[in-house]
Amino acid sequence: MSSELAIARAGFGKRVRHIWQTSRRLPLIPIIILAALVFVAIFADLITPYPPNEMSLTDRLTPPFFMPEGSTAHLLGTDTIGRDILSRMIFGARISLSVALMVIAIATVIGTVLGMIAGYRRGRVDAVLMRVTDAALAFPALLIALLLGVVLGPSFKTVVLALSALSWAPYTRMMRGEVMRVREEDFVAQARVIGSSPARILITHLFPNVVNTLIVLMTMSVGLVILIEASLSFLGAGIPPPTPSWGSMVADGRNLFDRAWWISLFPSLAIGSVVLSGNFLGDWIRDKMDPRLRQV
Amino acid sequence: MARFIILRIIQALITLIVISMVIFALARASGDPVMLIAPPMATLEDIEVIRKHLGLDKSLPEQYWVFLKNMSRGDLGESIRNRIDVTSLIAQRLPNTVSLSISAIALSLIISLILGVTAACKFGTWMDGGVKFLAILGQALPSFWLAIVAIYIFAVWLGWFPTSGMGTPAHFVLPVLTLSFFSLPIFTRLIRSSMLEVLGSEYVKLARIKGLSEGMVVWKHALRNAIIPLLTAAGISFGMIVTGAVIIETVFAWPGLGRLMAEAMIGRDFPVIQASVMLVAVVVLLVNLLVDITYAYVDPRIRY
Repeated sequence: MSSELAIARAGFGKRVRHIWQTSRRLPLIPIIILAALVFVAIFADLITPYPPNEMSLTDRLTPPFFMPEGSTAHLLGTDTIGRDILSRMIFGARISLSVALMVIAIATVIGTVLGMIAGYRRGRVDAVLMRVTDAALAFPALLIALLLGVVLGPSFKTVVLALSALSWAPYTRMMRGEVMRVREEDFVAQARVIGSSPARILITHLFPNVVNTLIVLMTMSVGLVILIEASLSFLGAGIPPPTPSWGSMVADGRNLFDRAWWISLFPSLAIGSVVLSGNFLGDWIRDKMDPRLRQV
Repeated sequence: MARFIILRIIQALITLIVISMVIFALARASGDPVMLIAPPMATLEDIEVIRKHLGLDKSLPEQYWVFLKNMSRGDLGESIRNRIDVTSLIAQRLPNTVSLSISAIALSLIISLILGVTAACKFGTWMDGGVKFLAILGQALPSFWLAIVAIYIFAVWLGWFPTSGMGTPAHFVLPVLTLSFFSLPIFTRLIRSSMLEVLGSEYVKLARIKGLSEGMVVWKHALRNAIIPLLTAAGISFGMIVTGAVIIETVFAWPGLGRLMAEAMIGRDFPVIQASVMLVAVVVLLVNLLVDITYAYVDPRIRY
C-alpha cells in the first residue's frame, strides 16, 4: 500500500518508469501471440483472403509463397482440393478459441460452486462431492469425448460438452482447498457472528479471497483445452468437416507430408505456439498472483 | 494401515459405481437398442418380444442391476460393426496396447531420470535451461504431429523403421518413442524439482563431507529420495498414456485398444466403446489405489 502511495505522490516521470519496469518483465511474445489469436478469431470474416471452404481445383496443392512454385495468391499454400490454408487456419483459430473459452467458462462456474460448497459445508456433502471429483480427475478427458462422440455424434456441442464434463474437477479440488484455508480466518468468523447467511459469506467474503487462484487456473487450462480439442479433431471425433479446425487440418495433410508438408505443418505450428503461449502466460500470472503455487 | 487400505478400497468402489452409472445412462441415451437390432420389417409384436428378451421392459434400477451383473461376468455384448463378441475383441487388442504403453513408460522414465538429474546438478546453466525448454516444448507440441514428422523422417526418408503396423521389434521404435513423449515432460520437471530439493538437504551435504564420489552422492543417496514424488505422477501419467495410445495407435495403425476405441468412435459402435471405457476406468482406479497404498506405506504421514 505504502509503495503504491509513494508512486502516486511521485512525479509523472517516476510513474512512467514504474509502469515501464513492470511491463518489461511481461512475457511479451506469448501475449502478442494470444492477442493475435483473439484478433484473427474475432475478425476472421474480414481478414481471410478466401472463404475457408472455397475450393479451387486449378490451384490444388499450391506450395507456400516462399517455395519456387508458390504464389502470393495463397500465402501458405492450398490443400488437396485447393482450399486456402491460411484462410482455414484463421477460421480454425475461431473454433479453437471459442471451444477453449466456453469450456473454461463452464468448468469455472461448476467447479467454483461445487468446490466452495464442499469446502464450506464439509462433512457428508464434501465427502460425496470429492468422490465424484476424484472419479472425474482420474479419467482421461479424451475417452469421455470419444464416448460422447458415439452417443451424440461429433459436433461443436459434443466437443464442448465432453471437455467440460471433466475439466470442472481440478477447479472443484482447488476451490475446496482454498475455501478451507480461508474459512478459518477471523473475518469469516465475525461475519458468521453478525448473522450473515452462508451464501453471503461465500460470495462477499470468501470468493474475493480465492479469485486469484481461480484466474491462475483458468489461464493455465487454455493451452490444455486447445490441445485436447485439436487431438479430438485429428481423430475425427471433434468438429466435423468441412468446418476448419487445426486438428483436422493436420489429419488432412497426414498422408501427404512428403509432397505437401505445408498442409499439416502450419496448423501444427499454430497449435504449438498457442499452447506454448498459454502455458507461459499461465506460469507468469501464477508467479505474480499466487507465489504459493510456484513449482520449480 | 489396514484401516487406510479398507477405506481407500471402499472409496475406489464408490468411484467405480459412479462411473458405471454414467456409462449406463449414456448407454440408454445412445438410442433405443431394440431399433438397432430389430430388422426393418419387424412388427410391433416382434419389437415387444425383442424388448422383453433384452430385459428392457423392466424398471431402470433393475436394468442397471442386470448391466452390472453382465459387466462383472465379462459379458460386454457384441460389436455392432463386426458382430464379434466385445470381450474377445478387446482380449485380442489389449496385449498390444499393454506392451506398447509399458515400453513407453519405461523409456520416458529412463530419459526423464537422465534429463532431470542432469538439469538439477547443473542448476542454472545452459543445460538446465535446455532441459526446461524441452520439457515446456514437449507439453505444447501436438503429439500427433510429432508422430507424423517422425514417420516421414525415420521411415519414409531414412527408411530405418517401418511406417506402421506391428510385428518385428523395429515396429516398436517409433510408436514407443512418440508415446513416451506424453509423460516425458511432466516426469522430467518432477524429477528436476524434487532432485533440487534433495540436493540441498543435510544428508547430501553429509555424504559429500564423508568424501563420497559425486556420482555416488547424486545417483545413489539423492536420487533414491528424489524419486518418491514420481509415484504420485504414476497415476496421472497412466491417464496420459491411455490418451496417447488412442492417438499414437491411430497414427501408426497399431492394432491395440486405443485404435479400437478410435475406430469404434468413427463407426459409432457403442458396445465396444462402452466396454473399453469401463475397462480403462477400472484399470485407472486400480493404478491410483495401488499408488495411494504404496505412498502411504512409504510416507506414514499420509495415513489417516
